[in-house]
Amino acid sequence: MIYEDIFEPIEVISLFKDGKIKPLRFKWNGRVYKINRLNGHWVSPQGYTKQYHFSLMADTYDYFEIMFDTSNFEWQIARVCLEG
Amino acid sequence: MRTIMHIDADAFFASVEQGFNPQLRNRPVIVGGTENQRGVVHTASYEARSRGVRTGMALVRAKQICPNAVFLKGHYEHYQAISLLLQETYTKYTPIVEFTSLDDAYLDLTGTLHLHPSPEQIARDIQTEVWEKTGVGLSMGIGINKAIANIASDLEKPKGIVNVPAGKEKEFLSPLPVDALPGVGRMAKEKLTDLGIFTVGQLALFSKLLLEQLFGKNGKKLWDLANGNDPREVKQRIIPRQISRETSFEEDTADMAIIKGTLQYLTERLAKKLRQNELVGQTVQVKIRYSDFGNNNRSRSLPYPSNDSGTLFKLAETLFDEIRLRRVRIRHVGVAVTQISPLNWQVSLFNNKNRQESLNSIIDQLREKFGFTTILPAETIELRKKYRMEPSGYVLHNPALTR
Repeated sequence: MIYEDIFEPIEVISLFKDGKIKPLRFKWNGRVYKINRLNGHWVSPQGYTKQYHFSLMADTYDYFEIMFDTSNFEWQIARVCLEG
Repeated sequence: MRTIMHIDADAFFASVEQGFNPQLRNRPVIVGGTENQRGVVHTASYEARSRGVRTGMALVRAKQICPNAVFLKGHYEHYQAISLLLQETYTKYTPIVEFTSLDDAYLDLTGTLHLHPSPEQIARDIQTEVWEKTGVGLSMGIGINKAIANIASDLEKPKGIVNVPAGKEKEFLSPLPVDALPGVGRMAKEKLTDLGIFTVGQLALFSKLLLEQLFGKNGKKLWDLANGNDPREVKQRIIPRQISRETSFEEDTADMAIIKGTLQYLTERLAKKLRQNELVGQTVQVKIRYSDFGNNNRSRSLPYPSNDSGTLFKLAETLFDEIRLRRVRIRHVGVAVTQISPLNWQVSLFNNKNRQESLNSIIDQLREKFGFTTILPAETIELRKKYRMEPSGYVLHNPALTR
């Protein structure tokens, strides 16, 4: 099992509520992934902006790390975990 | 009578990674670096430990004995996020919590115990909550002081809860080996073995005076611990004995610009940590490890304590030049500060430190707002050739430890 850094922009449907972000679905490489489970999240301060990272399991049972960057309000897919 | 709980997370870094990625659960996980990378195991999950992998073991060796393990570089921010969550959970039960590291804490439950059925119930509730939220297992010890709680938490890992009832301390300690006591390392154990002392019970019966003669001021402490006495309070704010920053290079190097640039960068990070916590340090230590694993350390004290990176680096550079005597490539450098005290007293009446303090304060504000790498000493720019630079800092060789 290996992790691969991706850092590519993605489109995400997310819920911003009670001062929290909850990603629900994302589109990467033309495919829509439904987020089945959020395993954890962490914040990486980048000076006056922040990156919100989420580790999650998609409906395909694949593991992803996605990231919301407040400097440009963009979502990125940060890492994937691959068997092998 | 006090009630102290010691909580230690089981294989913390590896458990956090298994919590973040459930595909890693029940698989051997090794945090410290990728399988082809140089370096050592920082933390191994219990699945990897059962196959013989140990902390400090070379990654190459770990790969040989556990070829199907998942090797991870680790991520300090993961551990920090989970540590904050632990903190939130613990403070629900008592406001007096002392964190001695990211995953290790003492709780003083004396004043809040009447709000709960029992200390064991508190332990079980905390264990369940943390497991459900993070997937991290906790081992816990309960006793009348910090030493008893600490020793108890170590006995039934993983996920154990050991309660030592008040008055039963001697009975509990007596059969344990002497190195179960905090502060008894390999050397002390050998010394005690030579005296025919193998268990804490035997140590407790030994002459206090003789122990003082053999171990100096630690002898009295040792005797007290063996007899179940530890007067230390659970402090919400602790002054660390040492703050250090160190890193290994991707490949061994003799490039002085990179080595000194790294040393200066590490000193900047260390000074920032001191200022952030309103601390000053007086003794600077520099550590070098050569490519043949030979080590050189040297330390020296400043005339007055400081948290100014320039002052600390000046001394660190002098020490580095003094100890770097071999014409061998270097694989690891580190800088540490000891004799740390709170910044709350006037050092001397006449000095020009105010100007430097103002400058440091502005630098800290700039970094707070725009990121650590917004302003750096010119010499550290060389590191851009080697490391990826992010606003929060360079991504060094071992991100599990990059603070």
